[in-house]
Amino acid sequence: MCCTPSLTHESEVGVAKGRPGPLGFYLASGWLLVCVFTAFFGDFFPLPKWDEYDYDNLGLPLFSDGHLLGTDYDGSDVLSGLVHGARTSLGISFTAVFIGSVIGGLLGIVAAYRRGWVDSVVTMYFNVSLAIPTIVLTLVMVALFATPNVDDPSSGWPRELVLIISLTLVIIPILGRLARGSALSWSGRDFVLVAESIGMKKRSILRTHIIPNVLPSMMSVAFLAAGVVIVIEGGLAILGVGANPGASWGSMLAKNRGELAITPHTTLVPAGVIGLTVMALNYFGDYFRLRIDDRESRI
Amino acid sequence: MKYRVALKNLAKAVLVLFLVTFSISILVRWLPGDPIEILMPFATEEGRAALRAELGLDINVVQYYFSWLFDLLRGDFGVWYASTGDGGGVPVRSMLAVALPRSLLIMLYTMVVSIVFAVPLGIFLAYRAETRTDKTISNVLFAVSSIPSFAIGLALAFVVGVQLDLLPVIGYVPFAENPSEHFRSLVMPVVSLSIGLIATFSRLLRVDMIATLREDFVTMASSKGLSNMWILWRHVLRPSSSTLMTSAALQMGALIGGAVVIESVFALNGFGMLLTTAIATRQYLAIQSLVALIAIAYIVFNLIVDVLYAVVDPRVRGGRG
Repeated sequence: MCCTPSLTHESEVGVAKGRPGPLGFYLASGWLLVCVFTAFFGDFFPLPKWDEYDYDNLGLPLFSDGHLLGTDYDGSDVLSGLVHGARTSLGISFTAVFIGSVIGGLLGIVAAYRRGWVDSVVTMYFNVSLAIPTIVLTLVMVALFATPNVDDPSSGWPRELVLIISLTLVIIPILGRLARGSALSWSGRDFVLVAESIGMKKRSILRTHIIPNVLPSMMSVAFLAAGVVIVIEGGLAILGVGANPGASWGSMLAKNRGELAITPHTTLVPAGVIGLTVMALNYFGDYFRLRIDDRESRI
Repeated sequence: MKYRVALKNLAKAVLVLFLVTFSISILVRWLPGDPIEILMPFATEEGRAALRAELGLDINVVQYYFSWLFDLLRGDFGVWYASTGDGGGVPVRSMLAVALPRSLLIMLYTMVVSIVFAVPLGIFLAYRAETRTDKTISNVLFAVSSIPSFAIGLALAFVVGVQLDLLPVIGYVPFAENPSEHFRSLVMPVVSLSIGLIATFSRLLRVDMIATLREDFVTMASSKGLSNMWILWRHVLRPSSSTLMTSAALQMGALIGGAVVIESVFALNGFGMLLTTAIATRQYLAIQSLVALIAIAYIVFNLIVDVLYAVVDPRVRGGRG
């Protein structure tokens, strides 16, 4: 009987969550730091240009001379593709999530603050957007913004801009609904009631009590959302509407996916990088959430 | 009182559906390019006029929306215009008849596989909560749940499909044609979609199970001398599964999106491919009907889960939920 665990657990600590250990958190921060650093300073690395074709070295395997991660079927260096892709993928993701959370957060908090018809309209807008799966919505948005002239795919706005706009529109309702829910739950707290009863203006209650408390939970979800956006961007690339071929992590793997049997690393390495980055962002988001939970339990 | 809540939810869902489909028809109208030039560059004047009428370009968007809606309710999803550009085409319905079953089967298999693996895993983790085994597996699951399905799919396609040559890398075989080949063709797509879901579901179930295990009725059952397995499966699982069900409903959206991409990775030519092609070739009527179908399916699914809630967890029926 010694080895049969008891069914009832009395201890409260760490039971409810599969907490990522601190080691995972440090690894995640390290990886994200590397990615962000590459995104900013990739141009100064001694690497071949990502869009330069080395026709003498087509489809080199991993760890070749001069091409650490090999080259793909038209001779582009995989490592410099990844370095350049960090800028595109993270740039698109962080920009979309940042703008989306500012707009969504404002909408959500205003809805929770004004209540009444404003709230109904905003909530309805969120629900309508969320009724369509994100990737489908983005697909339609990209089609809408991408090419004014179907015969000339390069016409219209740059692909990256189209992706950022579409993904921002997708992020707004996700973070907006979260902000609204959070703002509503905070406005029911005792200290808000106290503030109201001593005659504080609603606007200053919002500024001093609600917004500072809503922001952290938005932060944690924003990290998750950044991961989601990177995945959507990869998916869109596979569907043929992502960034220009080879310009982002997603479009690198999409470009080379037909060569899976011949040069597998040109597809699998970008896929692995996307996986690692999303994982790191999730760890980060989860870490923030735990910090917030601890903080809230003290309030 | 309960029926009023149900009716209110239903009314809300219908309103959302109406707004979603109406916004889609506006969006489709905004799609850049002249539909007539794109769909039938070589048509005669009469053909163009007919298409103009069919796409509702000669009436306002409200009138057009309702004529489209009534067509949809009658099962007419519009025409898929042929690439010859002379105005010919096939009904979208006949293309759906081929594509939809494929995608529905993939999603059904994925959900079944995910639940079948996630439930025992979740129960096991809750049973072993806080042990080294639980901590290790939970951490691995957390990491796994964040890997995108297309990355898993591509890795599987390379290892299992190319290197080991065990399963077909692309293509779909209908069940009626050859059942064993049918399952073989879907193993990799379903596995790539399931792995993330298994991780997500089992983690959620674990948390809820641990919470339920603290309740008095478990202590009661335990002191009656019932076996641990019996208590876990018969007493604790059911009241612990509501979060799992909500998540399953929420994941449907992600699953539809994931399936669209995975279909493309494994060239299964399902609903996702149909939608992508429709958007790429500006099949105005098809886009509108396909996106509307997805939204309808998603909303109806969420409604069903709301009802199932009360069935599964008696505490919700009592008004505690």
